[in-house]
Amino acid sequence: MKKKTVGDLVEFFKTDKDIQQQIVKWHTIEPKKADFSCIPHTVHPKLVQALNEKGIGQLYTHQEEAYRLIRNGHSVTAITPTASGKTLCYNLPVVQTILENPSARALYLFPTKALSQDQKTELNEWLDLADASITCYTYDGDTPANIRQKVRRAGQIVITNPDMLHSAILPHHTKWVSLFENLQYIVLDELHIYRGVFGSHVANVIRRLKRICAFYGSSPQFICTSATIANPKELAQNLTGEKMELIDQNGAPSARKHFVFYNPPIVNQQLNVRRSATLEVRKLAGLLLKQKIQTIVFAKSRVRVEIILTYLQELVKNELGPKSIRGYRGGYLPTQRREIEKGLRNGDVYGVVSTNALELGVDIGQLQACIMTGYPGTIASAWQQAGRAGRRQGEALILMVASSSPLDQYVIKHPEYFLDTSPETARINPDNLVILLDHLKCAAFELPFTIEEEFGEHNLEELLDYLVEERILHRSKDKWHWMNDAFPAHNISLRSASQENVIIIDQTETAYHKVIGEMDRFSAMTLLHDEAIYLHQGTQFQVEKLDWEEKKAYVREVDIDYFTDANLAVSLSVLEEDKTKQNDRAVISYGDVSVRAMATIFKKIKFDTHENIGSGPIHLPEEELHTSSSWFTLKEELHELSEDRIEQGLIGTAHAMQAIIPLHVMCDPQDIQLVPQIKATHNHLPTLFVYDRYPGGIGLSEKVFEIGITILKEALLLVENCQCFHGCPSCIGTEPHAKSAKKDAMQIMTLFTEALEGDQLES
Amino acid sequence: MNLKSKLNRMKPHLTGHKSDPVPLKEEKIENNGNIPYHDIWQVNQTVPYWLENEYCLIREIHFPLSFKHGKYRLSDCIDAVEAWKQTSFFHPLSAKDHDIEDLFFFDTETTGLRGVGSTIFMLGYAKFTSDGVILRQHILPQPGFEVPLYMSFLKNVDYTTLVTYNGKSFDWPQVKSRHTLIRKHVPKLPDVGHFDLYHASRRLWKHKMESVKLTEVEKQILGFERIDDLPGYLAPAIYFDFVDRKHPEGIIKVLEHNEKDILSLISLYTHVTRQLLGSDTDQTSNERVEAGKWYRSTGDHDASINLLENAYYQDENNSSAAHTLAFAFKRKKKLPKAVELWKQVVQSGSFKEKREANIELAKFYEHNEKDIAAALDSTKGALQNVVQDPLMKESSRAIYLKEIQHRLNRLYRK
Repeated sequence: MKKKTVGDLVEFFKTDKDIQQQIVKWHTIEPKKADFSCIPHTVHPKLVQALNEKGIGQLYTHQEEAYRLIRNGHSVTAITPTASGKTLCYNLPVVQTILENPSARALYLFPTKALSQDQKTELNEWLDLADASITCYTYDGDTPANIRQKVRRAGQIVITNPDMLHSAILPHHTKWVSLFENLQYIVLDELHIYRGVFGSHVANVIRRLKRICAFYGSSPQFICTSATIANPKELAQNLTGEKMELIDQNGAPSARKHFVFYNPPIVNQQLNVRRSATLEVRKLAGLLLKQKIQTIVFAKSRVRVEIILTYLQELVKNELGPKSIRGYRGGYLPTQRREIEKGLRNGDVYGVVSTNALELGVDIGQLQACIMTGYPGTIASAWQQAGRAGRRQGEALILMVASSSPLDQYVIKHPEYFLDTSPETARINPDNLVILLDHLKCAAFELPFTIEEEFGEHNLEELLDYLVEERILHRSKDKWHWMNDAFPAHNISLRSASQENVIIIDQTETAYHKVIGEMDRFSAMTLLHDEAIYLHQGTQFQVEKLDWEEKKAYVREVDIDYFTDANLAVSLSVLEEDKTKQNDRAVISYGDVSVRAMATIFKKIKFDTHENIGSGPIHLPEEELHTSSSWFTLKEELHELSEDRIEQGLIGTAHAMQAIIPLHVMCDPQDIQLVPQIKATHNHLPTLFVYDRYPGGIGLSEKVFEIGITILKEALLLVENCQCFHGCPSCIGTEPHAKSAKKDAMQIMTLFTEALEGDQLES
Repeated sequence: MNLKSKLNRMKPHLTGHKSDPVPLKEEKIENNGNIPYHDIWQVNQTVPYWLENEYCLIREIHFPLSFKHGKYRLSDCIDAVEAWKQTSFFHPLSAKDHDIEDLFFFDTETTGLRGVGSTIFMLGYAKFTSDGVILRQHILPQPGFEVPLYMSFLKNVDYTTLVTYNGKSFDWPQVKSRHTLIRKHVPKLPDVGHFDLYHASRRLWKHKMESVKLTEVEKQILGFERIDDLPGYLAPAIYFDFVDRKHPEGIIKVLEHNEKDILSLISLYTHVTRQLLGSDTDQTSNERVEAGKWYRSTGDHDASINLLENAYYQDENNSSAAHTLAFAFKRKKKLPKAVELWKQVVQSGSFKEKREANIELAKFYEHNEKDIAAALDSTKGALQNVVQDPLMKESSRAIYLKEIQHRLNRLYRK
């Protein structure tokens, strides 16, 4: 039988009866021709020639615009979808400047080490072609000690990541004098990654960087590139504190893309339960892979990646070699990742199952098909993932397979929402007190503070004096000096809320214990508890012991037919109310809360059927969190509703709102939490809490308070339009106890909406 | 809600905050020429150095040349420098081209171990004059007064070579780092040579000492025991307290500690010189071997053989001396002498030495003597040594076995 092409499969998907029934929307994006500009005449002939040798005779319009603005001294932010030639947007002006003035320096920041490596290789190839003697180095944990000094003294382009800048470069800035004295450009790639906690940290690292530059007398321009988000310019300005020029007209061409919205068949009409997305993806990916169509499958969690990987490897093991389908996620070793990336580029690897780790600009070439197991959570993310498929010639097939989650069901039933709406807003809160104070310490370590300085929007003098009282700084007149024996950057991680990660140790071979990965503390509570099943590269491990004191999880390889899923119990109390809006029946507030969370039990869930086959307790200490929250309270009793019905209604409301919030606030699902309480501790009234899962908050629940009406109205619409009779997992959550739950949830949402339309009382 | 109560609420989430905050107090800056506890400083040989409205403290002590620190007098160091001038040995610690006044025995005290924010609060040094040794310590009375600290330091000093303990990778880079912060206000740092005695101690004594911390070297090598000495790790805490309260009692303890560190540098340089020149009558055979190896790595093979021969004649049962000397002879094309030594080593050396000696003998028999049977015997001996060595890593063992197998095969073919 002749192998089918992508075109054949597009035709097959369009005509096959079973598949056709499940397709909600078939959206074809027509190919787009390129818009070109001439290479500016100021570009050095050597560079022009090198571009020509790479087959580039003219620039895309956005590349030319970036060159012009940057060379005129502006800081810029360019919107650059996958494969639009974004690197030239910064490499061309940077290299041209260094050719003109060899003492000029540039600092490139990429969110991951893998991206840095890619960039260095690509840039060096081009510099070789141009015969330009410009030195370009990566500086990260892998840089050998013997060349570090050379990088510090002579590196004209230094490529690193924010973590390295934070903990290795800034605290040792006196070793980098020639970089900081001559720093002209700072490149921030993959800007959209710098959101939430990570973004808030990075904004502060950049404040520190600018402070050091000012000390050495430089004031660099910023060049940012970002995926499509609602507020790239705002985000870039918040991150860098600089005025930005936005470049959002993209001149790159694109292939014909078929964007297919696929909803798995309903298996229980009454409860509106659909077949699992994972199982549907197994079927669809199998169809593509058997025809050797190079396919990328995205899944939302590490566990999901490993489950799908296991399924697919089993499915095609006779047609394709075992190494032709690979997993890719955080926690794999760098060498493993490089090998997979290379395999994808040269075609040895046909299929890859990945978390959003491959959304970023890691170079894996262009694939032919992309399958998303569930809606990736944000519009920006979905477009990034879709961008992985689409070679210059030919067509690309993109399948979004919905899960039963309300967010997925909302998106799949309103494809126009996804296709027409602008993507989400990326929020950061660099002035979060916990984050700000951490970086104030680092900044004071790097240079004494003077009273004229500014650092964030709070009263700096008050904050610095607080650190004096804490015996961390010493004040003399109007200067604050570091006065502590610690190295502050060492204890501050930019990536996660918890300070220490849990190390995962494989003790399958008694004589050779080895570390196979690590995980942040909060995730470890629910994923690495005793008896948890941990999946790594398709291999199952059982946690034999989680040593919480030592932050070590000891695992052993097992072969069993289930995975585990843990519950987290949460209690809340209000500490401070900052804002309220209300009418006579409901009140919505924003302020500070204390959250106490504890992992309680875990369930064992069988593969394939996904049935619950057992459970067990989890014994871990409670974790406490102070953060910001918006809470929605019913002021007086709803006479017509029993307590039980109100509780069900609140749970339903929480579920529906949880689905809608990520459509407006760019965050990972675990960044924001919703907890309904029938008698809240502070007012003994039915209350729904929405809180940021990071100490001090990062602006997510505040945004929920601001746009609460929109969120509630859309949540109401979601429930109203759901095809179920009395509520289902896709609208108000798991199987409801009462037939009234759907109606009650809708009533409660209506009440909250009315309250929000009332007067705002600042308190 | 005000910022302060918010901060207190967030406290559990903040890293590295102590639970007992101190109330903020007004900082009194003395600019009338009077410094706090002036009298106490005075009796401790310490005077202020003023620069505009800022100052640092300088303590100065004179020691006569007859002063004894551990088993050496200060004057022994002058003899050590002279002794270098009498030799033709080439060594990085050689003072052949220096006078005693060129040496600058230098040690700092800091508030932390790394990074720009680790403040140097004391710069201490000693140097020889015609009638003794002057030891000076420049003290930072409070953070921010670094301009007078470095100004006084840089103006006062005239030297070409630092003598330190781990100063190459710690003290001097830290001086450079803190100097960079105020470089617009003070003179440039000079380029200096550097004798780092920490590296010397590691080379000479790591075969017999678990740790070559300075205090251990003093105790075991220099015959100097500290009494009532402050442990070095307490210095930062004492300095923070001094900055707070200004009372000198604690910081004087740090000064005394630093003073001993510096005096030990002088005695240690004397001792290391004697080791390297082989003029220490108490030098053990093993110490001579280590000194010999050091010369070998610096490329002075004559000096190396000289020490190794002495090591061997001092103790002919010292297989390590015999083995190292054998290699030195081989390099000098004195193969018969080397072979005699290796014949001894294969009887009494460590597993590693035996294996290497057997291989060398095998090469000798195969290529020089053309005695294949003897070469086979030696190679089989090496095989035994590899198999029996309990300390060898499995990965290395595999490599050696392969090499030896290769050699055996070749010999069998002959």
